Amino acid sequence: MFNFRHIFNRESLVVCVFLILFFPIIFLISSTFFNYNDSLAYIFENLIFDYSVNTLYLVIITSLFSLVFGIIPAWYISNYRFKGRKLIDLALYLPLSIPTYIMAFTYSEILSFTGPFRIKADLLQIEILGIILAFSLYPYIYSVSRISFSLFGSKYIDISKNLGLSGFKAFYKVVLPLSRPAIFSGLFLVIMEVLNEYGAVKYFGVNTYTIGIFRSWNSMNDTEAAIQLSSILLFIVMFLFFIERFFIQNKRYSFTENSKISLLSNISSKRVVWVYLSCLIPILLAFIIPVLFNLYNIFDNVDRIELKRLLHLTFNSVTVSLISSFLILILAIFFLFSEKLSKSRIYYYVNQFISLGYSIPGAVVALALIVFINSIDQSISSVNLLGTFLVYFFILIYAYLIRFLAVGKSPIKSSFDKQPETYDLSAKTLGLNNFKLFEKIYLPINKYSFFAALILVFIDIMKELPITLILRPFNFDTLATQTYEFAVEEMIPISSIYSFVIISICSILLIILKNYLDKNNVFRS
Amino acid sequence: MKNYLISILSVLCIVYSCDTNESNEINIYSQRHYEVDKKQYENFEQKTGIKVNVIKANADELLERLKNEGANSPADLFVTVDAGKLQKGAEMGLFQKINSDEINNNVSKELIDKNGYWIPITYRARILVYSNDRVMASELSTYEDLADEKWKGRILVRSSSNAYNQALMSSLYANLGQETVEKWSSGIVNNFARDPKGNDRDQVKAIAAGQGDIAIVNSYYIGLLLSSEKQQEVDAGNSVSVFFPNQGENERGSHINISGFAMTKNAPNKQNSIKLLEYLTSVEAQETYVNNSYEYPANPLVMPSEIVQSWGEFKIDELDLNKLGTYRNEAIKVFDKTGWK
Repeated sequence: MFNFRHIFNRESLVVCVFLILFFPIIFLISSTFFNYNDSLAYIFENLIFDYSVNTLYLVIITSLFSLVFGIIPAWYISNYRFKGRKLIDLALYLPLSIPTYIMAFTYSEILSFTGPFRIKADLLQIEILGIILAFSLYPYIYSVSRISFSLFGSKYIDISKNLGLSGFKAFYKVVLPLSRPAIFSGLFLVIMEVLNEYGAVKYFGVNTYTIGIFRSWNSMNDTEAAIQLSSILLFIVMFLFFIERFFIQNKRYSFTENSKISLLSNISSKRVVWVYLSCLIPILLAFIIPVLFNLYNIFDNVDRIELKRLLHLTFNSVTVSLISSFLILILAIFFLFSEKLSKSRIYYYVNQFISLGYSIPGAVVALALIVFINSIDQSISSVNLLGTFLVYFFILIYAYLIRFLAVGKSPIKSSFDKQPETYDLSAKTLGLNNFKLFEKIYLPINKYSFFAALILVFIDIMKELPITLILRPFNFDTLATQTYEFAVEEMIPISSIYSFVIISICSILLIILKNYLDKNNVFRS
Repeated sequence: MKNYLISILSVLCIVYSCDTNESNEINIYSQRHYEVDKKQYENFEQKTGIKVNVIKANADELLERLKNEGANSPADLFVTVDAGKLQKGAEMGLFQKINSDEINNNVSKELIDKNGYWIPITYRARILVYSNDRVMASELSTYEDLADEKWKGRILVRSSSNAYNQALMSSLYANLGQETVEKWSSGIVNNFARDPKGNDRDQVKAIAAGQGDIAIVNSYYIGLLLSSEKQQEVDAGNSVSVFFPNQGENERGSHINISGFAMTKNAPNKQNSIKLLEYLTSVEAQETYVNNSYEYPANPLVMPSEIVQSWGEFKIDELDLNKLGTYRNEAIKVFDKTGWK
């Protein structure tokens, strides 16, 4: 007898959901990738070298500073006892609440001739931009290093010291290599963010790959060339991505976690200053100064604040972020739980490709969706999809799903990975079906990571700019789009109240998340 | 009760069948992100009861969106700050001609689109500003002269990704031809005080900070700086003077560009849209424009704002503004070839 269950098994369901989600992107790339046209030839002859060099240079600078701002404080916070440690630990995460474009606009204003210091030198340089981007991106490195360092903590250091290594050498020779996979995954996010960055690089006059995509799409009116450039970028990213996976898989160290919570050592009085400096400088530059600057602007322009509009935009931002982040949470759990239930390689590949979604520039995702929906519209004449508020709202959320599913997946994935296989086996022996297995075992064990995923995605969508800018429905502004509009209109002081609300909401959520995870000992110390 | 409901329903049916499928609103795709626009639409809404909805984004993105939405687009009007983009949209077949005697009477003849696809509402000149301390007005003459070696290390301008620069280059291309314009571009790149970056106001600030002596900027930015509430910005504005290039007897005049509206091919609210354009070109609305955005009015009955008047009158380059779109790609290639970042 024909067996429906056989066809509609879990495997095909997962692949179907994946294809539906990512079809617009696949459609876009496949439709144009093999057309080598004149514009692309032109770009290759004249511009590609410049774009590549600039992109590479910016990526290197931002990565370097993100590593410095991230790793050093993470090390001290994880292993030493000093006054204000808990508060500093919390504050080190907070720059994550400031979008890169707000950071860049804020600093360009502070460092300009009309800023508070009347600086005469030209500080709109690629190196300065790299550092400014690192201000908002280093928390990606900090968070992964912090988890990694506190997992094996002082035990390895003690052994190394007993073997005669100095403190620095022990850190450099033992701890860093052991943490390499974790740090790499944080660094990967930083690099993706730099590749996606548009507003700040344009303002600083740095011609990166993304600028090239927009230039061929907008100025030269060549959508195909833009898509081809994005495809090339995508392939480079894929290459990096699989190298990283390969590298980590072959170098995965198996270290035993600390059986006891790592004991914090006291710092010698000689190094106290250094410890405080290395922890407080990132907080000061990446959080306190931008927040104070925004506050100053708000008080200076208090009579120009439109409270009603502010509330309205806050409502829009929160609604759209909330709906999308819940959907992403459900999808992420769906994909990862399916992978966990079966050993089939298909799930593995599907999940790898989902992670790549984060590397597609937001503008390309938006473009792909418009082209895709339009082709549905044209092929079915009775359907009139484009042109209504709800449809655009739906497309907007669809685009967020493509881009941010990877963000929601990563904390859940690492939590699932830590869960011993024996739990699943015992549950199955006891006769639990998959739903019960999820409800009784997975949900209670991994609820922290679900909460973390929800909040991280929410924050990312609150800050998101290019997709929202291109796909939002009529009269639908968000805090991010309003901030950007005032900023490009060269009215940064007026934009401050909107950026401040973004920063406040995201900071509060980060604080809640951090406290929640601390209380439940997810960070161990 | 039942009768009551039926009568309500029938009244509703009559009301809806009388509706000519035109709702009481207008949908605009806008590149203009000036605060004054919001004020204008609110005034219009108060006068007519017609609600104005706006989506703001980059002109090219909006055109792409219009193209993809095709006949289903909710948009009635498209407004941008560059005639080149309006020409591009017209060439893509996205617009319909606008026929209104009132609008045609409201705006200056020399600004009107020869093909009838778009309506200018304001215009701006891309001018030179120079340091009061380090440059004499008598040293300046034309855009072409900026390639001269005497300006080495002294010229400030933003990146070639910017539409204002692309329009300027297109106008030079149309007027001078490829060979001359490439030489000019190489010359000016040699004279740059620094790599192109920032926006127009940043170029003026850079003069104030002493990083360069001459900047190419849009006229209204100087008005905005001088009227700023921030003393540092007013100081920066006061450190420079305005110069209109190419004003000599046999010269063609300064390059200008317009802010203009086009009506989409399938505009669902055509009559309302024409009403809005009639209002925006009227004396009342034009005065609101000049006093808030420091642009020049499209309506010749209205005078520019006082600050702008103080710079004096100038001769405008009468090049067909549609050419700014026609030569766009060539202009970009000149930028790329000559290393104007």
